[in-house]
Amino acid sequence: MPYPVFKDNREFINALKANNDLVTIEQEVDWDLEMGAIVRRVCERKSASPYFKKIRDYPGFEALGAPLATYKRLAIAMGMKPDAFVPEISNEYVKRTTGDPIKSILLDKKKAPCKENIWTGKDADLFKLPGPMVHDGDGGRYLATWHFVVSKDLETQAVNWGMYRQMVFDEKTMVGPVLPFSDMGKMFYGKYVPKNKPMPFATVIGCDPLAGVAACAPSPIPEDEFTGMLMGAPVELVKCETCDLEVPAHAEIIIEGEVIPNLLIEEAPFGEYTGYRTSPREPRTVYRIKAITFRNNPILTVSNMGVPTDEGQLLRSFSLGLEMRKLLESQGIPITGVFMLPESTHHMVVVGVKPIYSNIASQIANLVFGSKLSPWFHMVIVVDEETDIYNKDDVIHALATKCHPIRGIRKYEQSVGTPLYPFADPEDRKWSRGAQILFDCTFPLHWPKSDLPIKVSFNNVYPKEIQEKVLQNWKNYGFKD
Amino acid sequence: MAKKEYDTFVLTDLALVAEDKETEMIVRDLMPADRRYKYRSAYVFGMVSKDESKYPDRLWVRLGRGQLQEKPWSIKVIKEVNKIPEG
Repeated sequence: MPYPVFKDNREFINALKANNDLVTIEQEVDWDLEMGAIVRRVCERKSASPYFKKIRDYPGFEALGAPLATYKRLAIAMGMKPDAFVPEISNEYVKRTTGDPIKSILLDKKKAPCKENIWTGKDADLFKLPGPMVHDGDGGRYLATWHFVVSKDLETQAVNWGMYRQMVFDEKTMVGPVLPFSDMGKMFYGKYVPKNKPMPFATVIGCDPLAGVAACAPSPIPEDEFTGMLMGAPVELVKCETCDLEVPAHAEIIIEGEVIPNLLIEEAPFGEYTGYRTSPREPRTVYRIKAITFRNNPILTVSNMGVPTDEGQLLRSFSLGLEMRKLLESQGIPITGVFMLPESTHHMVVVGVKPIYSNIASQIANLVFGSKLSPWFHMVIVVDEETDIYNKDDVIHALATKCHPIRGIRKYEQSVGTPLYPFADPEDRKWSRGAQILFDCTFPLHWPKSDLPIKVSFNNVYPKEIQEKVLQNWKNYGFKD
Repeated sequence: MAKKEYDTFVLTDLALVAEDKETEMIVRDLMPADRRYKYRSAYVFGMVSKDESKYPDRLWVRLGRGQLQEKPWSIKVIKEVNKIPEG
């Protein structure tokens, strides 16, 4: 294997430490808001990951905050150089996840660290885990903020890993939103609920870092096999105690139970990935638990969603953008790259293209807005190859100068949206209705060449020899950068 | 005995909340004997008043997006109701 692979959260913590990207906090920290406030500030300052060694009321438990909230940590998780540039990480991700999926392998329960402790019956009590009160004003304690939920399709037996937030209601109950267009939503509301059948689930907390990346990725490949592709090795799974689901054997904490049909309980509010509390407290999906299994001295993973940048925004942007890139490349569109800005809370994607035929921007927008990825974003900016899609300044410059305020903007009405869009009307949020927009920042092909504006930049309006001379002498001139 | 403290989320107009009437509602326990159980939610039958001193326990009120109201109300919890089927 040409790159290091971290089979669990603990090896990843060691790698963060080795790369000076971890702050080990020995001082006791309160699960009631203090831990959340630290993680929030870490996200807003792009600081190192906090590793909480002592949690008030919960001796023996530890927590890792903001595990993947920066590209540096994503590069480390991928086994790359910590200072790898986003295009390098993107290319590596696409390379690893294009090709044959890698099937997982099943471990004997005796060899699975997540079975070191097993609580069932009365012992399976959610308040015995240090679920943090993440933000003041949240509807409850969110045990599951950086995790994934495993579920299985009733008819096809297809397995899904997805991130669905879960709020602790009481000792045995969690509640959370499951949007009907999500993979688990289609399974539960489309197949289990009509038959009034409970759906087995397993919540996986403190998984290896790439399983978390895979659970965020909107790929058609089963997430366990997708994780294997990212790792370059099969994921080791183990059977659950109370159902036939399989979970990563090296995860820190597993919560098993059933999603209850035809019962809703109030959940939220919660600070969301858009940086707002948009969706109000409302009746939502109910998870009833049956068992908790965990490693000795388990390490909870804690994300804190809010204003950029946290891992929800960064990883979802990363994988959404790259799944769009795969889609556009599969259709033969001459794109030069796709980058979704994490600061846009994965609402805005920038597509670079060689505009070799007219209305190529519309074709791009139609494809991505028509895909299953589309409810999660609503702005597409199409730029030509002279704009660096990874450079926000360059993208803003193109948007402000090349996009015609009428001809360059195309509106898409009556699309699928999410209840989390802060700009949406309350009624639209309730029914997951959205709208989308294309900003075409390419010059029309029918303009005479002589009329095309010339970009005035260092790279564009000086002869190569002058550029090289200036670059070679830059420090000699007295510049320090 | 010290007052217990609860909070609840009111999703309608505050003026529409029925006072002095047995009502089913969800409350969160803010002062459990074992601190690990703080914020445990429960369906209860209780009576509330906007007068802080009318009933034995304090009830903080939040709106749908978590906005805490400045003045607490009071509550008498009559009984907890189990509405969730066993898993």
